[in-house]
Amino acid sequence: MPNPRLPEKHNYLEVQDLKKTFVDKKRTVEAIKSISFGIAKGEMVGLLGPNGAGKTTTIKSILGLIKPDSGIVKVDSIDCAANPREAAKRMAAVLEGARNTYWRLTVWENMQFFAGIHGVCAAENKEYFEYLLETLKLQDRRDTEVRNLSSGYKQKTAVACALAKKTPLVFLDEPTLGLDVESSYELRAALKRLQSEEQRTIVVSSHDMKVIQDVCSRVIIISNGRVVADDNIDDLLSLFRTRNYRIVVSKNAYMQHPELLMAELSQGFPQADINETPDTVEIAVEFTNPFEIYDLINTLSGFRVAVESITQEQVDLEKAFLEIVRREDGVCG
Amino acid sequence: MWLIALKASWRQTLTLQIRYLFNFFTSIITMSIVFLLIFHGVKAVGAGALDLGGTLEGLFTGYIIWMIVLTGYQDLAYNAANEAQTGTLEQLYLSPVGYKWLAFFSGSFNALMSLAMISVITAVMVLTTGQKLHLDIFSILPVFFGVYIQAYGLGFILGGLALIFKRIQSFFQVVTFGVIGLFMIPWSKYPWAKYLPFTMGQHLLQEIMMEGMKFTQAPKGDLAVFAVATIAYFLAGLGVFSMAETKAKAMGLLGQY
Repeated sequence: MPNPRLPEKHNYLEVQDLKKTFVDKKRTVEAIKSISFGIAKGEMVGLLGPNGAGKTTTIKSILGLIKPDSGIVKVDSIDCAANPREAAKRMAAVLEGARNTYWRLTVWENMQFFAGIHGVCAAENKEYFEYLLETLKLQDRRDTEVRNLSSGYKQKTAVACALAKKTPLVFLDEPTLGLDVESSYELRAALKRLQSEEQRTIVVSSHDMKVIQDVCSRVIIISNGRVVADDNIDDLLSLFRTRNYRIVVSKNAYMQHPELLMAELSQGFPQADINETPDTVEIAVEFTNPFEIYDLINTLSGFRVAVESITQEQVDLEKAFLEIVRREDGVCG
Repeated sequence: MWLIALKASWRQTLTLQIRYLFNFFTSIITMSIVFLLIFHGVKAVGAGALDLGGTLEGLFTGYIIWMIVLTGYQDLAYNAANEAQTGTLEQLYLSPVGYKWLAFFSGSFNALMSLAMISVITAVMVLTTGQKLHLDIFSILPVFFGVYIQAYGLGFILGGLALIFKRIQSFFQVVTFGVIGLFMIPWSKYPWAKYLPFTMGQHLLQEIMMEGMKFTQAPKGDLAVFAVATIAYFLAGLGVFSMAETKAKAMGLLGQY
């Protein structure tokens, strides 16, 4: 089902009712129960989900590395099952948990090889390869064998090889896994630059919410083999934005009777959590409507207390994700 | 696209061969030493004890065929297993050219490397034993490539098994020595043995290298058996590999090791 909150666009990637169950002698695992989504050309979309949610199986099913039990996958309106060769020309990927590159080849040799087997001639695309190396900060490692690189550079080499294929659609499965903060930041910056300059369609699967929130405009959350949320990140966060405020007031010289203030607050705002310290009073409160904050301010004003700070609790993607997955687990469990 | 992929595959295979040059030379030395040990061992106990083509001379062609088979099937089978282990197999499967073609591309390059290696070992064999061999290259090459293609069929079968069962390199070693058994079956007693893989190739090579026969002078029936066996075993290998590939994709095993 397409998400009604998102505007109708022509989908470059279309996944309809994808299902996959793994069966072996010991057990049966329903990895994908039913997954449908569409991604427009030029979108950078995050694929989020807890371990075992079905993210990697979904990606590999789209790429043709896993044969789904049923469902339709179309890339550029090409049915991947009916015409895998044509579909493969349009897709590249960095896969999680795999080396993705030959460690006895240099960075440049890997790019030449992987682009070449995708029909992209290295000699004709030398400038573009150099641009990729520069963007990913790999120029100095160009002629180094991959086995001699740090894990950050290895990962960036894998990304460079995937991008060197010049495919319109790129999957990056856990691209920042195991990277230090600096390498992760560099890779994210490179991805954002590449996306804005090349308008490629990029699907990033990651456990790291910061990565998704930083580089993607939209997120698809998968849990228990289903899509449980599919929205623009800002819209998704707004769903979880609360009217939770924390107000800190100081017990200054004007405040004659703090006990009266405490009594008034307890009576007027029974839902509030009020903590008194020797110098301040902290009020944590969730308002049911947006105007209640004025009532609180009026009350404080009556006691002539100095308001030190008013902060609204911020919702990040991690909190939203956990909330969605918990709800889903509650429904399924 | 195909030409670019072929060039990329050859360049990668050549580069890796250069990086593993030490391995290439140790293979030549090891194979030469193994031959000399067998040769002198057989000579010491008497040729009758080992029926490789009926004569001690048969040992030469038997060993050469064995090396062709070994390099041919190992190229594909070990590569499939190693690529799965190192995590590059899935990347190869993402190529629009297809894994089988990529295996064929690198295989065609490795066939030339194998030819070079076997030529050097054959030269060592001739120089160290004093055995006279007829080295008519135009008669030897069709047999070499025919047997190599049959070996590729075997390689596809074992490569297919490696996709599903993964760690089966020890089984490959059993096959390596099992192949020797094929050459030891006497045709006089078991006429059907000539239809087995590699056996007609060995027979033809023996006639060419020992008796000086030209490839074109070989009995038409033998050539037909050789041609049919080459095509049939290659296609059989390809068929088994395709089935294994389908199963591996259904079970999600391509990327697992």
